[in-house]
Amino acid sequence: MSGLLGWLRNPWARPRWLAVVAVLYIAWSIVPVGIAVLFAFNNGRSRTTWQGFSTRWFTGATGSVFHDPALQSAFKHTLFLGLLCVAVATPLGVALALGLQRWRGPGSGVVNTMMLLPLVTPEIVMGVALLLLFLKIFPGLGLGTTAQAIGQVTFTLSYVVVIVRGRLVSVGREYEEAAADLGAPPHDQLLRVLLPLLAPAIIASAAVVFALSIDDFVVTQYLSSDASTTTVPMLLYASARGAPTPALNAIATVMLVVTLLTLAFAFFVYRRFAGGSSAAVAAALEV
Amino acid sequence: MQGEIQLESLTKRFADVVAVDSIDIDMPGGEFFTMLGPSGCGKTTTLRMIAGFERPTSGRIVLDGADVAQTPPHKRNVNTVFQSYALFPHLDVAKNVAFGLKYQRCTKDETRRRVAEALELVQLTGFEARKSSQLSGGQQQRVALARALVLRPRVLLLDEPLGALDARLRKNLQVELKALQAELGITFVFVTHDQEEALTMSDRVAVMNGGRVEQAGSPREVYEEPQTVFVADFLGVSNLLSGEATAGDNGGCALRMGERTLQATQGATSARGQVKAMIRPERIVVEAHGATGDNRVPGLVERSVFLGNAFELHVRIVGGDLLKTMVANDGSVTEREEGAAVTLYLPADALRVLAPATSAEPTAS
Repeated sequence: MSGLLGWLRNPWARPRWLAVVAVLYIAWSIVPVGIAVLFAFNNGRSRTTWQGFSTRWFTGATGSVFHDPALQSAFKHTLFLGLLCVAVATPLGVALALGLQRWRGPGSGVVNTMMLLPLVTPEIVMGVALLLLFLKIFPGLGLGTTAQAIGQVTFTLSYVVVIVRGRLVSVGREYEEAAADLGAPPHDQLLRVLLPLLAPAIIASAAVVFALSIDDFVVTQYLSSDASTTTVPMLLYASARGAPTPALNAIATVMLVVTLLTLAFAFFVYRRFAGGSSAAVAAALEV
Repeated sequence: MQGEIQLESLTKRFADVVAVDSIDIDMPGGEFFTMLGPSGCGKTTTLRMIAGFERPTSGRIVLDGADVAQTPPHKRNVNTVFQSYALFPHLDVAKNVAFGLKYQRCTKDETRRRVAEALELVQLTGFEARKSSQLSGGQQQRVALARALVLRPRVLLLDEPLGALDARLRKNLQVELKALQAELGITFVFVTHDQEEALTMSDRVAVMNGGRVEQAGSPREVYEEPQTVFVADFLGVSNLLSGEATAGDNGGCALRMGERTLQATQGATSARGQVKAMIRPERIVVEAHGATGDNRVPGLVERSVFLGNAFELHVRIVGGDLLKTMVANDGSVTEREEGAAVTLYLPADALRVLAPATSAEPTAS
């Protein structure tokens, strides 16, 4: 048997053709990102021809990320929306997860399924629907930051519910019963026992919400009003069609790093404190 | 005596299933009370109702004269040791034990003192700063015990607390638990499916089956004077014989089995008609084939199991019933090879007539 075929067909090893497929896939998905990041460091205006290494598009005096007011405003607005979305969606999602998990009445199955709908609804549908909502049904609210935050909370909430409920199921009712048995009234069962046990899932879901919020384009775009409510993804989209410079790559790189750090943080917290069962957050990271 | 519990027509229904079917149990204060039965017999549901985790469908739970059936668990003066211990994984041993003291309004000094006392009681002094994941199963069990006992409950509920431990540790903890109970004088309500555990530890045992109490009494009573086939079978190997009961000698009962008649003086001797009688393996005497006298039946050794210090013989007697018996491995000449013909002596005072059972056939494991 030839060397390569023998290596592939070794019945005692893990299926190696799966490893080959995996490596090819990872290369396919990472190479374009890598190239985009590389050209953020190009010493020239081209986004296709390499002209030497420089950080001018990050810190340079003209046209760089740190000296472009439009980019800065978009960056600040993106972070603000992200934090606002985390602050609203996380507590709300935890409360919903607790309620849904403990609710065993008629109709609970339907509600559980409905919680998953935002995960599979095409975002464009949700964006259009939300736009109509704010224009026709609640015109008083208008478009802008509030509408954007409400829109993002609407679709990120499901992720919080899914992640926290996964943890709730694995924790079970026993710890609450033990707390009650030792004399803790219901609010203490929640505060002294359940929430600390859910903390890894809560932190992980907050990070996922943040990552989803700062990356979101469709809903945020539909619900924006003027330049002050432009986010980084919107800016990237607009300038990619105009006269792009490597500054575009630079801000994309910054966003990429922020997102990756957030998700790495979520993953680490969940792994470290929830005892290895990272399936829920891993599933959420697949989006 | 504090810590007295009366269950009065206590019933729990889950959807269509009746888990606990109108049971009445008296648990005297300060005793080691065991609910024994196979899984699904309702013992754990009963315990959970006493703890307050399940709300009874109907009936009363009287704790020291007051009905607590509708009292939420955090307001009941009973504490539980869970089957899986349920130690809080985010707290260390000392904080686990101190958890409930907050609700008894203890000062910091008192809390520290009582935690230290409780840990000393379960011989875990020095483990205060450990997390539960850093403890062995036996140690976790002791922490769970300390966490409950530190609150000085009137009743301690234990849900198969030894189930997850290995055999040797179980034996040691059985003795320790019993000693602890005797020392503290607290009522222990213990749930188990292990008949040996129940017999060795308890002052009183309730044997449960299908959501009902089959029999309650001291370990000796339920073992030696089982009233139903189920109890006889669940509490160790029992041999059942079928026969027709008629009036016998000395107020006893005569069991007709084919051409043979056995005298029985124990149990429901006033029963007539088709009945079952039981005899413990250790009460059967194996004699050489052809031995004569009252209450003797011939049989064939079907199997002979070597146990080291004894042989367990499975003997098929005339009439078709299979009896198990023990023969000491003491060198005495007894027919014990498979296929050998023997005579079994079934003493009249060891044959117990069981009341025609209203209960189902035994399903014991």
